Amino acid sequence: MDNCTYEKLDISGLDAWFGDKQALKGVSLRIKPKTVTAVIGPSGCGKSTFIRCINRMHELTPGNRVSGVVLLDGVDIYKSVDSMDVRRKVGMVFQKPNPFPNMSISDNVVAGLKLIGAASKKELEAVAEENLKAVGLWKEVENDLKKSGASLSGGQQQRLCIARALAMRPEIILMDEPTSALDPASTAKIEDLVKTLKAETTVIIITHNVQQAARISDMTAFFYLGELIEYGETRTIFESPKSPLTERYITGRFG
Amino acid sequence: MRMVSRKNKDRVARWLSLAITVLAIIPLLWIICSVVVNGISAINLEFITGVPAPYGESGGGIANAIFGTLIINAMASIFGIPVGILTGMYLSEYATKGKFSSAIRTSVESFSGVPSIIFGIFAFTIIVTNVRHYTALAAAFALGIMMIPIVAKATEESMRVVSDDMREAAIALGVPKWVRTVKIVLGVARGGVITGSLLAFARISGETAPLLFTALFSFYWPTGIDQPMATLQVLIYNFALSGYQERVLQAWGASLLLVMLVVAINIVVKIVTRQKYKEGI
Repeated sequence: MDNCTYEKLDISGLDAWFGDKQALKGVSLRIKPKTVTAVIGPSGCGKSTFIRCINRMHELTPGNRVSGVVLLDGVDIYKSVDSMDVRRKVGMVFQKPNPFPNMSISDNVVAGLKLIGAASKKELEAVAEENLKAVGLWKEVENDLKKSGASLSGGQQQRLCIARALAMRPEIILMDEPTSALDPASTAKIEDLVKTLKAETTVIIITHNVQQAARISDMTAFFYLGELIEYGETRTIFESPKSPLTERYITGRFG
Repeated sequence: MRMVSRKNKDRVARWLSLAITVLAIIPLLWIICSVVVNGISAINLEFITGVPAPYGESGGGIANAIFGTLIINAMASIFGIPVGILTGMYLSEYATKGKFSSAIRTSVESFSGVPSIIFGIFAFTIIVTNVRHYTALAAAFALGIMMIPIVAKATEESMRVVSDDMREAAIALGVPKWVRTVKIVLGVARGGVITGSLLAFARISGETAPLLFTALFSFYWPTGIDQPMATLQVLIYNFALSGYQERVLQAWGASLLLVMLVVAINIVVKIVTRQKYKEGI
């Protein structure tokens, strides 16, 4: 119990299935608050399934199943919390930027709050500005707040999506390869942003790019065939991995 | 040698398809031209502001029929468009592979092929024979039912092509399903829904058979939505067969107005669709 209070996320014995196919096998790990955790591993290793179990999106597809315990601030998100509330506490940013094209830039930022009717118009404006500033987009869009979210460039759209997730004041932000569809300059901006985010929140980021993991994360988790092979401080994982599999992966010999 | 024959075949196919296309367009142009040529001389201020003159007197207009068509179409839309949208929404977002869903899907699809006179006789049987007089409400009911499958199909198709990325984005924000469906998926698909609704409106603007059983006709301004009401369609039918030279001319004029209404709606549809692509949906 003494550990629970200071772990943001405490996952134990997490299994996940797509129908009969087991995608995650007995994953256990603890994540400290205000850190960035990188999740790496070859395609199909269960990285996405893993993070989708943290905001309860894995179970949405009929036939999918999850078992195990996921404690967020000590509370079991599969037993004691409604799935909608879990997703309000655990934000997500996707691989492909997905702003709502039927909403303006500022409405996109506050979409979550607006759609659940959680704030007044005045509050929403302030929230939009605050979060656009947090992702460094404010100066670029200040005069275009009423334009469609789809009118922005890919990198700007992704930052808009991060602002949208941040506006919910999440405890955790999950990111599923957020830079893989972006150019290098936009990628660098998002990487810098991720580093600043941990002042306020806890970030779990999937990346295919091991250099990116090394640059931005405090902790790294390496998955292979649905199992968590190695988890520890990023520097340790990169300098002296315990598992030969981890070493082969991060040195680019497979994956 | 073979090369030449292949090129010749190619040429024949091209000219043949062009010739047949022109052949197919001729009747259409013919109709439009005769409607314009015959109709234009009937149109003047009295024609579009007055009511029909009593038999034997000359002059008069068709304003009551223009008004009636718009009223009945509006009432049909108020009923048909929301029901169509909800049906399409159900088929796109909630329907499963079960028997119930497939029964709904099949009936929506076959509904659009049912001849319009059937809807007329249906409205006649359940409304007109019960209230014992012709009424515009029955016409709106018949036309509204006809709009449902068109709007439902358009809604279903445009909601289905909304990328799952949008649904996932909304799910990840903790937005309940019905809010996601209405505010996000329907919101993104709105171009297609508007297009479908306008096309359904255009479609019912040309229907005559259901009106003969229901709204019938009137020579006067409407006195209430539960009364017989003049429409352009029935006016064309009555006046064209009246045998009076002037009335026949007025029927042409009414036809021109009706064609213009339908063309105008199609132009609006084009504009809406173009905007949809501009937004990159």
